[in-house]
Amino acid sequence: MSTTTTTLAIPGQLLGSTSKYQPGPGTHIHESNLYASLLGSVRIVHPAAAPTTKPTGPVKRLTKLSALTNQSSSSSSSLKKQSSSPDQLPTISVTVSAEDNHHNKKREILPEVGNVVLCKVIRITPRQAVVSILVCGDTVLEAEWQGLIRVQDVRATEKDRVKVYESFRPGDVVRAEVISLGDQANYYLATSKNELGVILATSEAGNTMHPISWKEYRDPVTGLTELRKVAKPY
Amino acid sequence: MTDRRRINGPAGTTIPPIFEDTSNKEDANSVKGRTRAPDAVRKMFLRTGVTPTASGSAYLEYESSAKSGVSGIKLSCTVHGPRSLPRSSPFSPHIVLSTHVKYAPFATKQRRGYLRDPSERDLGTHLETALRGAIIADRWPKSGVDIIISVIEGDQDRASSGPQSDETWDMMNVLSGCITVASAALADAGIDCVDTVAGGVAALVQGPSEDTPPSVVVDPIPSEHERILGACCIAYLPTRDEVTNLWFKGDLPASEMDLYTKLVENGILASASASKVLVDCLKDALA
Repeated sequence: MSTTTTTLAIPGQLLGSTSKYQPGPGTHIHESNLYASLLGSVRIVHPAAAPTTKPTGPVKRLTKLSALTNQSSSSSSSLKKQSSSPDQLPTISVTVSAEDNHHNKKREILPEVGNVVLCKVIRITPRQAVVSILVCGDTVLEAEWQGLIRVQDVRATEKDRVKVYESFRPGDVVRAEVISLGDQANYYLATSKNELGVILATSEAGNTMHPISWKEYRDPVTGLTELRKVAKPY
Repeated sequence: MTDRRRINGPAGTTIPPIFEDTSNKEDANSVKGRTRAPDAVRKMFLRTGVTPTASGSAYLEYESSAKSGVSGIKLSCTVHGPRSLPRSSPFSPHIVLSTHVKYAPFATKQRRGYLRDPSERDLGTHLETALRGAIIADRWPKSGVDIIISVIEGDQDRASSGPQSDETWDMMNVLSGCITVASAALADAGIDCVDTVAGGVAALVQGPSEDTPPSVVVDPIPSEHERILGACCIAYLPTRDEVTNLWFKGDLPASEMDLYTKLVENGILASASASKVLVDCLKDALA
């Protein structure tokens, strides 16, 4: 990956023109110039080496109209010249890296729409499961964020047959996806994908169970099975 | 409302005993005047990352005056967050800023209580306005950040026995320090800002004798001047060339509009000097 760490930046420092770079995390645009908005080191990622980057912000769902305009704009820009297309510009970002930080602490991050999070079920009601989000992506969160898995978001098919108590139990560790920033207290999460769902469950006897099918966990000691929305192992 | 849960000190002023100066009076008078140039601010010490438990923190100290018994400014700022909002608060698509400025009980000659008094709330509101213009609030939805500043030493002349003429001038100096130190702590906490905001004060002061015309100085210390006629405290974004907060107080002749702009210009000058210290401090923190 051809990342180049060039310099250090402080908030408000000019990084370059928007015609030369694409804005990454830790930067902002003011009067068609890119400025740093964080204290850290500048990283420039060239698009050829950049892997398919995750969207940084909340992604809008593609409507037919926006898909059409995207297509037409991309085709017209590819007709004009390759380098003028915004996808071809190097992305510039400012990161607070742990080794730069003298007291060696991680920067707090927030769950964003589209992130896969790990969470623990706190309580269940017939309509929803309340969870506490523990891990977002690869980072352990410092603050405690509460999430909500509503009954219609548990799985993708046969939504009307879903029962929360047949999907989650308090204490389960669940892998879920953030679908919305939600209301004032909760993030809204969904487990409507095969690889999302309960990844660690304990039985009523208190033993850690094994998944045996897409909806069952079995206690190895007592041999009893319990119903869960099981995450497909990777 | 009185604070009944703690053992409070005496409610009134506690002035330490003042002994007559053994040195001759002329010597004391010679230090009275301003020793700096009119456009020079006091020396500053700023460092980030002083409080390990906070997300971001900074400490600011102003050089104390040449006159003995006049304390400088000592400020400690901690930033907590971004963290989740309390359950009762409504949904916010951007970061919720809350600022607290608290004087230590011993920071000024007049002892301060443990509860925040109106002047401290006022400082907090001014600080919030100054920072709100600098923070990119929509980068952190659904979260709050607490900025807490403890004023350890509040820029007062402890040697003079008489009551302070007006505390506002000290408050302005403290506010300008608060803005600078909070800006450093925010950068340390990794909260997105459009610029490093810095504070500065300019004042119109009476000359040594009554018939000399008043002059404009930056970073005034009340004890160094005969009388302060008016002052303004400015929060300034140096690279954007924008003012986020302006606090003006004093009695200026309405006929002289130039004076107002001159005060603001000098306030910006003082902010720019503070900003240099801030930038150097942040660069040191990275290196």
